[in-house]
Amino acid sequence: MESRKEVIAGHLVLIFGALIALHPFVSIILQALTPAPGSTATGWTLENFIGAWTRGGFSQSLVNSAIVAFAVVFVTAVAAVLAGYVLSVLKFRWRVAVFALLMIGLVLPSEARIIPLYNFFSSTGLLNTYWALILPQIASSLPLATFWMANYFAQLPNSLAEAASLDGAGEFEILRYIYAPLGLSAVLTLSCLIFLYTWNEFMLALVLMPDNVAVQTAPLSLSFFAGNERTTEPEVIAAAAVLVALPVVLAYFFLQRRFMSGLLEGAVK
Amino acid sequence: MASVEIRNLRKSYATTHVIKDVSIDVDDGQFVVLVGPSGCGKSTLLRMIAGLETISGGEVQIDGAVMNAVPPKERDIAMVFQNYALYPHMTVAENMGFSLKLKKVSKAEIRAKVERAADILSLSHLLDRRPKQLSGGQRQRVAMGRAIVRDPKVFLFDEPLSNLDAKLRVQMRTEIKALHQRLGSTMVYVTHDQIEALTMADKIVLMNDGRVEQMGPPLELYDRPANLFVASFIGSPSMNFFDGTIENGAFRTTSGVVLPLAQIPSGAEGRPLVYGIRPEHLQLGGAGGVAVEVAVIEPAGSETQLYGKLGTDDLVGVFRERLSARPGESVTVTPSSEQVHLFDKATGNRL
Repeated sequence: MESRKEVIAGHLVLIFGALIALHPFVSIILQALTPAPGSTATGWTLENFIGAWTRGGFSQSLVNSAIVAFAVVFVTAVAAVLAGYVLSVLKFRWRVAVFALLMIGLVLPSEARIIPLYNFFSSTGLLNTYWALILPQIASSLPLATFWMANYFAQLPNSLAEAASLDGAGEFEILRYIYAPLGLSAVLTLSCLIFLYTWNEFMLALVLMPDNVAVQTAPLSLSFFAGNERTTEPEVIAAAAVLVALPVVLAYFFLQRRFMSGLLEGAVK
Repeated sequence: MASVEIRNLRKSYATTHVIKDVSIDVDDGQFVVLVGPSGCGKSTLLRMIAGLETISGGEVQIDGAVMNAVPPKERDIAMVFQNYALYPHMTVAENMGFSLKLKKVSKAEIRAKVERAADILSLSHLLDRRPKQLSGGQRQRVAMGRAIVRDPKVFLFDEPLSNLDAKLRVQMRTEIKALHQRLGSTMVYVTHDQIEALTMADKIVLMNDGRVEQMGPPLELYDRPANLFVASFIGSPSMNFFDGTIENGAFRTTSGVVLPLAQIPSGAEGRPLVYGIRPEHLQLGGAGGVAVEVAVIEPAGSETQLYGKLGTDDLVGVFRERLSARPGESVTVTPSSEQVHLFDKATGNRL
């Protein structure tokens, strides 16, 4: 049992940390709500948001971001469930080697991949298309995602798979009827993480889709917009930043606790 | 229903041999209990029958067909796991009907079979619950229900009662036995609890260190243990053992106490022996009795257990009578000479 003093001290540390984390958010929201120079509005106003939306063309770039993010999340999640099952449940001979190979992807810095990726997409004609952003991000998300799912599946008691195999299930049926449903909460948490990561991706977008406004993602649009408006209206740029960040924040709030409660409780013992 | 034959079965992990040349016959409809101390290989043996462990040597046959290379799902075996292994995201009905669903049995038939099994196990009112909403005993029943629904050739139980409290364990023991009598199925049951083995089995296979020490009907193991290990494992409290030799037609312990013998096996005289007598085969008083110094008396209502010293040896006695002796006092007990077991000290085997 913690003493009262420990509880208070713990909360003070957490509150301090929360203030540090929240400060940029709050300050940018406050700035976005402040009337820009030359505006006739007084007090808080939403006109910066309207200005950013109409002048920045964010409706298209938000749709682009959504297309890229959902495609990456979907493909990565499906592939990670399959790979995680194989690596955690099936005891095949080169399992450890395959796992180690996959983990190299976790330590490779993304900057090191950009030039080869540019050359590759340039030679295949996929530069300035959705593929240029979707494919590399699936590849870069997969090591962590596979590690995540393999770890989760490894925690499930072996006896569940054994019971299912005695019930007449083959490997695919064990995955489909037992592991995949039980892994749903882990998949959703993982999807949430990949979504955040993919949505905020900037460097790849900047290098691999610089010339086609029709496919540019929101962070890239924000950067171009900020570049154009930098000196004149920081309040409108702040509003644009809030617009771009909003879907991620919403996704985080909706997904964070919803499926976290363990389905596993009561499986064994 | 089916018979199970295990022929010269072996299992090794690298240089560790966990099953060493085990052969067992399980007849059609028989209830066989594999019992032994932790790590004796009984669970591994059961899992080899199920197909969950590979076989290093020998054969497992079900109904005469060699199963060594047959995957678990094709063996037509149902297993109840120690931790129940219920699918947590499925209801009780879905858990029980899962195997039938995989076999593409019609929903109506699945429902009918699940309801019949639920009826046998008094689970009918719980069919829509999930495992986490059930008590330990109920989960245990669902695990059995999942096995019953399949109507398998062989039922396997891997220490199914060890997660239950003492009272529930006794109740479920009776239920499993009743279930066996009702279904008449072939069952192989693993436990480390010799009371479970004695009360449930048609045939006990007592294992130790990867080998079969003795197999046979429960009372045969109790009445005629083949060696010191069997004698000490079966029975609670455990059998009393006294080292000594036979001299002049009587057994003399190393501390000099003379104990009665009904008959002397030929060639037993003069060599180092172990005299075994079960606690329940000691009587209070009697002519020719020996003096026991009382250490602890444990009254248990229907019986009284006495822990004391016979010479320098420990002795346990179980008596129907109530004892008023205090620690340090002496009581006279007489071994029932007809119930004495003699073992060779060197080999541990029964004479």
